[in-house]
Amino acid sequence: MSSDTGALARHRAFSFSRVYAITINTLTELTRLKVFYFLLIFALLLIGSSIFMAQLTFQQEFQILKDVSLGAMSIFTSLLAIVATARLIPQDIEDRTVYTILAKPVPRFEYLLGKIAGVLLLLAISTLIMSSVFLAVLYTREQTVLHETVRQMSKAPREQVDDALRAVRSSALNIDLFPGITVIYLKACLLAALTLFVSTFATTSIFTIVVMTFIYFIGHLQATAREYWLQGHSSGWITHGFLAVVALIFPDLQAFNLVDDIVAGAAISLGLFAKTAVLGIFYTTIYTLLAVFVFYGKEL
Amino acid sequence: MTDPAIAVRGLTKIFPVPLHRQSIVAVRDLDLRVEPGEVYGLLGPNGSGKSTTLKIILGLVSPTRGCTEIFGRDSRLVKSREAVGFLPENPYFYKYLSGEETLRFFGRLCGLGGVQLKNRIDELLELVGLTKARKRRLGTYSKGMLQRIGLAQALIHEPKLVVLDEPTAGVDPAGSREIRDLIVDLKRRGITVLLSSHLLAQAQEMCDRVGILADGVLVREGRLQELIAIENQTELVLADASSQLVEEIESLINRSNAKLIERRKSTTTLERLFLDATTERPKS
Ligand SMILES: Nc1ncnc2c1ncn2[C@@H]1O[C@H](COP(=O)(O)OP(=O)(O)OP(=O)(O)O)[C@@H](O)[C@H]1O
Ligand SMILES: [Mg+2]
Repeated sequence: MSSDTGALARHRAFSFSRVYAITINTLTELTRLKVFYFLLIFALLLIGSSIFMAQLTFQQEFQILKDVSLGAMSIFTSLLAIVATARLIPQDIEDRTVYTILAKPVPRFEYLLGKIAGVLLLLAISTLIMSSVFLAVLYTREQTVLHETVRQMSKAPREQVDDALRAVRSSALNIDLFPGITVIYLKACLLAALTLFVSTFATTSIFTIVVMTFIYFIGHLQATAREYWLQGHSSGWITHGFLAVVALIFPDLQAFNLVDDIVAGAAISLGLFAKTAVLGIFYTTIYTLLAVFVFYGKEL
Repeated sequence: MTDPAIAVRGLTKIFPVPLHRQSIVAVRDLDLRVEPGEVYGLLGPNGSGKSTTLKIILGLVSPTRGCTEIFGRDSRLVKSREAVGFLPENPYFYKYLSGEETLRFFGRLCGLGGVQLKNRIDELLELVGLTKARKRRLGTYSKGMLQRIGLAQALIHEPKLVVLDEPTAGVDPAGSREIRDLIVDLKRRGITVLLSSHLLAQAQEMCDRVGILADGVLVREGRLQELIAIENQTELVLADASSQLVEEIESLINRSNAKLIERRKSTTTLERLFLDATTERPKS
């Protein structure tokens, strides 16, 4: 057997550097898309503009600021996840760039892994940018309100001032924002992986986007529908099996909506956060695996 | 016994056509062997199954029946692609990358990196004549330039086998002559080449062996020289021959039992003329 391969090192079944090359390439591709900047600027403007929404009380002001900002982040990352992922694979197949890549010793799963990792990296970067702007805005407003409070209460006793300041602080920047933002990111990851899966068998990227929009809305209504449905049916194993399939096709996106709780000022328990995070990671993994499965059988 | 560079056995590929009863048979019962070190030309008209065959050999398309191997390794294994460079037909790369970045990307996919990759990129850009355009984005490349960067990309990891689908498509005569020289050079270095083409004059200059496909069936195969030789004919080409000498030769022929079939003035080829005319001015 002739098996020497010249300058090449021995082929490995999995190579991180190959996946990394595809990841960085995908990130480059996505950051050259105009739609990315358009959406990002739009989200940042929305977050920034909430400064001007003066309210009667600081509690209300912070609430609106968080509501608008987290809402904008959630919608932006979800939209970006779907739009960015939808054309990734079809475009490569249409342009035949996929031939050149897969003609190299690159397993198909590494190709998909690199692609999805590129999207997740892009989502992470945009989530970081938006969070920084959001937290900076929130911090600035908090400082202003704190100064204001101190000035207004200059004649009040020491304890009363401390209480007031503590009230301001607790309603502005608090630790619950971080799990909230993480969950928003994980929801976007899930949507990206699901979009990747749909795009492996879709014929056009428009089809993928339409299907994903549909899934997005159903996914938000799913939990309610399920409860309603369970009321009228016995909960035998057929029912549960059916629900599991529905839950796989239409992930329960409402479960990733911790924003309302955060805005209301409710603390997010570690348990709930962990459960949601695991759910997000689980869905993302499953959809990526399904995409790999379909892609292996695909005629390019 | 050494493995052939490429072995194709009983290969059939049927494309189902959605919403239609009958399907397209792109390749039918194809047997092919490419020995290490030779330049093999797969010829045939449009739609005869050349590209399909090459894609199956590279594991990009799955065969309906039969199997293909590269250096004894089944094409379905990723490992079989270690020692192959592939240039798809009408290659199209990521528009947003420059020539240099493109080669770096493909080099990384082949497990190269560092100084070794950097030197290899410089070397290849020089080889395909794109050193000046290395920083330009591929979106601004002409068709011929894309074809060259495609060729460089196929050679990035110094493969033992190069598969080229219409390597000279869209390239001007001077460029296609360079590509031809490059292929001859690959052969000299012991690299096996499998190429598809329907430009017969070119294939004739490059190939050791050819196979002719028609409607997915291999209708002729063999060593080029044997296939095209006309056994009972001989050509003489004379320079500065006086008319007297020519007459003498003719009378000599008339006295023998050979027959003079044709007598004509040698002409240059249109290609030669084109090359002479366009290479007077230095190319940018
Ligand atoms: N993905 C596909 N789906 C359906 N039919 C296909 C597909 N790819 C190729 N074919 C058909 O298979 C046949 C062979 O095509 P192929 O591209 O291999 O020809 P070719 O010899 O490379 O032609 P050309 O010289 O035009 O490049 C054609 O009839 C073509 O229509
Ligand atoms: Mg072809």
